[in-house]
Amino acid sequence: MGLLNFTREPVPEAVSADMHNLNQLSAQQFSALTEVLFRFLTEPKEVERFLTQLSDFATMNKISLGPLKNIVKSILLVPNGALKRNLSSEQVRADFIALGLSEEKASYFAEQWKVNSPTLTRLAVGQTLVINQLIDMEWKFGVTAGSSELEKVGSIFLQLKLVVKKGSQLENVYVELTLPQFYSFLHEMERVKTSLESFS
Amino acid sequence: MAALRDGDFAALQILLKAPSKDAVRQLCQECFSSPPAALGPLAQRACPGLAVSAQEAEQLVSALHNLTRHVVYRGLTGAEDILRLFPENFHQNLKNLLTKIILENISAWRSEAQASQISLPRLVDMDWRVDIKTSSDSIVRMAVPTCLLQLKIQEDAALCGNNPVVSALTVELSKETLDTMLEGLGRIRDQLSAVANK
Repeated sequence: MGLLNFTREPVPEAVSADMHNLNQLSAQQFSALTEVLFRFLTEPKEVERFLTQLSDFATMNKISLGPLKNIVKSILLVPNGALKRNLSSEQVRADFIALGLSEEKASYFAEQWKVNSPTLTRLAVGQTLVINQLIDMEWKFGVTAGSSELEKVGSIFLQLKLVVKKGSQLENVYVELTLPQFYSFLHEMERVKTSLESFS
Repeated sequence: MAALRDGDFAALQILLKAPSKDAVRQLCQECFSSPPAALGPLAQRACPGLAVSAQEAEQLVSALHNLTRHVVYRGLTGAEDILRLFPENFHQNLKNLLTKIILENISAWRSEAQASQISLPRLVDMDWRVDIKTSSDSIVRMAVPTCLLQLKIQEDAALCGNNPVVSALTVELSKETLDTMLEGLGRIRDQLSAVANK
């Protein structure tokens, strides 16, 4: 086997046999299976649903579930590696062919990959490490009417509650700003937005 | 907030023993700024300068604290309003001097009162930087801009005395989060304008 795009490590031996089995499926069967796979890849939390759909596929096409799961494991190696390395659909197609999948099926899968890759990329980026992510911001502002030291105050206050994700816990941070500070904060945030936009 | 008591004006007349007008001025400022708990030590320091007993110094300091704080609390701004506080038989020159000193300091004292108001932790500083994430364990090559925002927050000044605790909170914002935040801030600005224009 030549150099693969999706991985630098040697591929498990079982993969060739799995690809050979895949080639035995009809075009319709392969298309149905691909659909199940991509639905799982775009919604990785729906594990139960994925397993149910695989089981239904196995029953409908009179394939044993055990071997089917192994085949699926082998297939998934490629899109997972491809996602990590930002591979193009041509590279994905080439890799499947190198692994032993028929040209027709490899091209079909590569097409589906092209269609789904924006969603998948966004998901992968979303999984990137974020430090102290800002989850939510609540605010209120009002007027301080009086205090123990001043009978009549009449100044405006602004209070922000920032919900920050620290590790797996959420932490609430309360801050009070004066009016000039608020305008300065708003101005700075607009500068950040301009900066972020120029890099997008 | 201390209220004016009957004995206060009698105690204030002790100021007639002060060495100079500047000494009176100085004492007024110190008495205003001092929290009630620190009045005792302040009286002890004032004692020698006034050549009075410890007890008299305490009464004076307390009276001056009450008077200055009362004026600031009520928001009195005119000389007439302040003069009216003094009883009929109060020493004329001393009354005028105290009124003059109070008027000189009233706006600074008002700002001081507002600054030391209780509040939620306050924002004292804010810094930001924009990073481009180029790689991670989940995706080898990307170009995702992200913002790191550092807020320096100071705990309630009244709780910390002279050593305010400043904590730094660094938060990461994606472009989407920032857009949502700006939307919220924009709404605040619009509402503030609406209130200001009423």
